[in-house]
Amino acid sequence: MTEREFDTGPLDDLFAAARAAPPALPPALAARMLADAGRVLDERQAPRPAMPGWRAQLAEAIGGWFGVGGLAAACAAGLWIGLAPPAGLPDPVGLFGQSQTSYDLFQGSDLALALSEDG
Amino acid sequence: MAAPARIIEAPDDSSVRGDEEAALLAAFASGDRQAAAQLTARLGPRTFGLALRLLGDRAEAEDVAQEAMLRLWRIAPDWRHGEARVSTWLYRVTLNLVTDRRRRSRGRMAALDEVAEPADPAPGAARRMLDAQRHDALQVALMQLPERQREAVVLRHIEELANPEIAGIMEISTEAVESLTARGKRALAAILAGQRAELGYDDD
Repeated sequence: MTEREFDTGPLDDLFAAARAAPPALPPALAARMLADAGRVLDERQAPRPAMPGWRAQLAEAIGGWFGVGGLAAACAAGLWIGLAPPAGLPDPVGLFGQSQTSYDLFQGSDLALALSEDG
Repeated sequence: MAAPARIIEAPDDSSVRGDEEAALLAAFASGDRQAAAQLTARLGPRTFGLALRLLGDRAEAEDVAQEAMLRLWRIAPDWRHGEARVSTWLYRVTLNLVTDRRRRSRGRMAALDEVAEPADPAPGAARRMLDAQRHDALQVALMQLPERQREAVVLRHIEELANPEIAGIMEISTEAVESLTARGKRALAAILAGQRAELGYDDD
């Protein structure tokens, strides 16, 4: 064997001595290792914040539940005004279908007659 | 039919240890803190010992050992039984962390060299001698080996692992492990012989 080409006696003694006296784990290091282990367990056992659903994400985008409430109120008011308009506002339901109505802006007077009178 | 006369071989100590460690890791993964204490007691010294032998520096070895164990805690829930032994996995992680650290410190040293030449070499030399006195002769000799030889020699002759396991840890072939340990041992013997001569230990 090539390993026997040199005297391994002293080296083997040193290896044996090293094996017989392995370095002790420093107590402070052991404590740090255990603390890490505890932290890893704590992190895993802590309830993980659930990924918010699409409704929650949408609400967040609009401005929280307060924003959603405002939006809902505005929508309800719009619908209400549309269906039962207060006095002074044209009734959209009544207007519907009247787009073909013609109005006589000159109240019967003839434009051609008016121009000729001016001559 | 005659009953088979073969005696079922008792599993060797190391495989029993490996099974126990895997069981402890599973217990830890399911929230058993006591298992963490047992794993630290079993694997902590080996991790720290390997890091210390490879780095030759206590503070750095402590950092590496803590990081290696942290990675073990993190992987515990995903640990697949029967694929690798816990200690083998931990040795490999430790080895990789040591390599990373050495690579980074080499980069830092190079950067320092570019910045300034030490004005007086005496303090450095004195500190080196003091450091050398603190370490045993084997450690001083180990630090003079090329990295891969040092890793193979430490795993083989101090951690007493079998060559196939070392091959798995170092991610090389068994033949490569044999070659590294043989060359490493020869180099160590030469270094130690030189040291003995230098220190006047030769008695004649």
